[in-house]
Amino acid sequence: MHAPVLKPILAVYTALFLLFLYGPLLVLAILSFQSGPEGGPQFPIVEWSTYWYRDLFGLNPPSRIAPLPISDGLVRSLALALMTTVVSTVLGVMSAQAFRQKFTGSGFVFYLIVLGMMVPGVLVGLGTALLANSFGIDRHWWGTAFVLHVVYTFPFAFLVMLAIFNRFDPTIEEAAWSLGVPPGRTFRKVTFPLIFPGVLSAMLFCFTLSYDEFARTLFASGRDLTLPLAIYGTFAVEIHPNIFAFGVLTTLFSLALLGIYAILMSLSVRRAQRVLVQEEA
Amino acid sequence: MTALPTTTATAAAEASSNKRSRTPYLLIAPGVIWMLLFLVLPILMMVYVSFWTQTTFKIEPILTTKSWQTFFASDTYLGALWTTVRIWLIVLAATLLVGYPTALFVGLFVRNKTTATALLVLCVIPFWTSFLIRVLAWRPMLGKEGAINIILQHLHIVSQPIDALLFTELSVVIGMTQIYCVFMVGPIAFMLGRIDPSLIEAARDLGAGFGRIFRTIIFPLSLPGVVVGAIFVSVMVLGEFATAAALSGRKVNLLGNIIVTQVGSLKWAFAAVAGVVLTVIMGVVVAALLRLVDLKREL
Amino acid sequence: MPMASQTGRNEGAVGGSVLRLDRVSKFYGAKVALDDVSLTVPDNAYVALLGASGSGKTVLLRTIAGFETLDRGVITLKGKPVNEVPAHRRAIGFVFQNFALFPHLSVVDNVAFGLKNAPGVKLDARAIDTKVRAMIELVGLSGLEGRAVTAISGGQRQRVALARTLVTEPQLVLLDEPLGALDANLRSRMCGELRRIRERLGVTFLHVTGSETEALAMGDQVIVLDQGRIAQIGQPDEVYTRPLDARVARFLNCYNLIEGRVEGRGFATEGRLLPCAQIGPAGAEIYALRQDLIEVAPPAQGPNEGPRLPVTFVASEYSGPSITSFFKLPSGAVITVENHLSHRDPQVFEPGRSYDLTWKVDDALILARGTGARA
Repeated sequence: MHAPVLKPILAVYTALFLLFLYGPLLVLAILSFQSGPEGGPQFPIVEWSTYWYRDLFGLNPPSRIAPLPISDGLVRSLALALMTTVVSTVLGVMSAQAFRQKFTGSGFVFYLIVLGMMVPGVLVGLGTALLANSFGIDRHWWGTAFVLHVVYTFPFAFLVMLAIFNRFDPTIEEAAWSLGVPPGRTFRKVTFPLIFPGVLSAMLFCFTLSYDEFARTLFASGRDLTLPLAIYGTFAVEIHPNIFAFGVLTTLFSLALLGIYAILMSLSVRRAQRVLVQEEA
Repeated sequence: MTALPTTTATAAAEASSNKRSRTPYLLIAPGVIWMLLFLVLPILMMVYVSFWTQTTFKIEPILTTKSWQTFFASDTYLGALWTTVRIWLIVLAATLLVGYPTALFVGLFVRNKTTATALLVLCVIPFWTSFLIRVLAWRPMLGKEGAINIILQHLHIVSQPIDALLFTELSVVIGMTQIYCVFMVGPIAFMLGRIDPSLIEAARDLGAGFGRIFRTIIFPLSLPGVVVGAIFVSVMVLGEFATAAALSGRKVNLLGNIIVTQVGSLKWAFAAVAGVVLTVIMGVVVAALLRLVDLKREL
Repeated sequence: MPMASQTGRNEGAVGGSVLRLDRVSKFYGAKVALDDVSLTVPDNAYVALLGASGSGKTVLLRTIAGFETLDRGVITLKGKPVNEVPAHRRAIGFVFQNFALFPHLSVVDNVAFGLKNAPGVKLDARAIDTKVRAMIELVGLSGLEGRAVTAISGGQRQRVALARTLVTEPQLVLLDEPLGALDANLRSRMCGELRRIRERLGVTFLHVTGSETEALAMGDQVIVLDQGRIAQIGQPDEVYTRPLDARVARFLNCYNLIEGRVEGRGFATEGRLLPCAQIGPAGAEIYALRQDLIEVAPPAQGPNEGPRLPVTFVASEYSGPSITSFFKLPSGAVITVENHLSHRDPQVFEPGRSYDLTWKVDDALILARGTGARA
């Protein structure tokens, strides 16, 4: 193998690949510090400023540029993501728990659930809109859009929990039963505490996916826009660097969420490790 | 003490095993009902509505194939169909070409597991930026006064800024390739990472060059990863409309865009027809890809 | 002492029995895991269930506990059929081979788990605490109460598993190879501990093991399970000295099994006719000879009477209290002879030389292959 030659070439290629992935985001971050309100969403940077960040929080004097219609959308998106996370994770844990036993039709059910993450948002969104119309149901972000968010994120929670239960030792539950503890209480007192890190991962998945979802929401929510819909609305009109500033802030928010998750995970891992160290001591 | 009739015993045993096997159904029922009501039913509804009668502002549940005839008689719709297939094929090829070398490096050449994981995490981090923001980020990159044109002019590769970068089919392809190529890298790197290094060593000891090793060992073993990646990319690209809306300046109309505009003008039956066509294409593509490799055996 | 017995043979045992199995069968698809198993386990006894891996012994235990459903038959606990009673209402303790402790709880919380969480327990917190402390003391874990169960040794985990089960006062405790995860030294110590604790509490232990020495040492009764069927039930010395068939004898690991057939009043093998004290059951074709009941003599010496086989010496193995010697029969089959050094000084044999093996005619058993011995 020509590994000595090939490896550095591929390493350089991978670096370029990462540049390809991050380049637009870097440019976006740089342009978010464009001066305002005259500076446009392109180079050159007229003057470095935090004008557009202040613009997001309504701290600037009124100008010809309308502020981003995001504050209501942000609240709605967070509420929607929270609702979705709770329902999807509960459904995911229940379904994965069911799959710990063999049952007739499990193959069909598996594909039915996984279909939810595979079918494009346009199609389910359109179908739901048609269904809601013909039944005379009003479309709302907290109704029709919410059920579709669950259709989309529940499969992810299900797959995460399936992987977690795969590594779960069932004799621990049997031990609890043999002590006279009923299955329901066993689940609360033994199973759930032990699968909790997995549940946390499933929740993180559901939250980020729902928070960012827009294809389903576009068709299935009514007049009230969620955050991604508000951003999508700016596509049609002229864009300003305020949306770049917003992109930077939401990315930081997402990464902060990821950071909290990482801290929670490493805490539980460290607790396990501390115990191991004690054993070796 | 064997007086207990065996029939009673059997009946008792059957009753208890029935009782136990009911639990999974109770647990799975809410999820299944949810999916049937809010996933399967809407899709069926879409098929049904595609045969409804469309008038200018409303639809009536009178069955007709008129919408279908209109769809296949219209240059706009057929053009969108062709554009969708074309963009899908181009993006599929592009994500594979762009992603495979990276997957090769991460999966095969980086033997340190921590480094490989770190590289994959680095690929995934951009996903924590909103999808729409990531699409929008290509505008200041590709525009006439965008980053790429500035760099090219600075390096004196071009004297005049290139117009064709933004608001063309090219910008849509570039945007989609960047957004979806990670879905190709992940599965391929995973499959490559499972290749036993001694297999490649052995082939090299037999005097095989890298090209030959790649053709006979590496690529065939990575094929399940390619198929999984292709399924991900295909399903997402075929259902796309936002990237085209943001980066093509309405020049590229995918089936997804058709659905959005038809819904916007309350032409539900036409939207449903486009939806059904899209569903059929997707079903055929996924089935064909799954036929290529027996995933159940490989994964 | 009451006898563990195959139901139907010993009807009188029912009164004092804690557990009875009537013709219990269990299938996994086409595979038969338990084949028509019937047995009675008496109150206040230590019963050892001996079987090789794959003999169905763990399945049997899990079926009794209620973790697995049975396909046929009835399980009766204290006179009540429990086929439809779920595991948590059977009041059967279970000690797992891997201990299955609750990894997120401390030692004391593991032990208290059943008392705190079982709905049937009507004890206040102080009473629970008293019981838990007493049990922790009984199993010798005092001082480790606050430790995480991941922070204690294997032997200590074993004790936690035992204490956790015993504190709920089950009618019957099932132990699934409880010593399998421990090293040899610890194992022999835990053997004694298990017996002592059981006698203190007067509860019945059903102890599954793959080790014949463990089964013979621990059990008041021994049940031998082979390929899902019961091969023999009896007291340890009975099983040891009178295995019912060749399967059981092979399992005990202390018998030489010589193939041949019954001819008249003797057993034909190796071109000889060995005299027999009894003819054995119909179809008997195995001559079983315990390894420690064989004498070795130079050719044509030793006792003139009784059975005798010419052999060639192969090798010896020294194993502390005894020496194991291997001899080859004319047919090539190997005979193992065990000499306990406490009885006499070791004999010295020359490799390749011929010797004669002799034994008392009463010590030999003529056995059938065993009904369960399918190919």
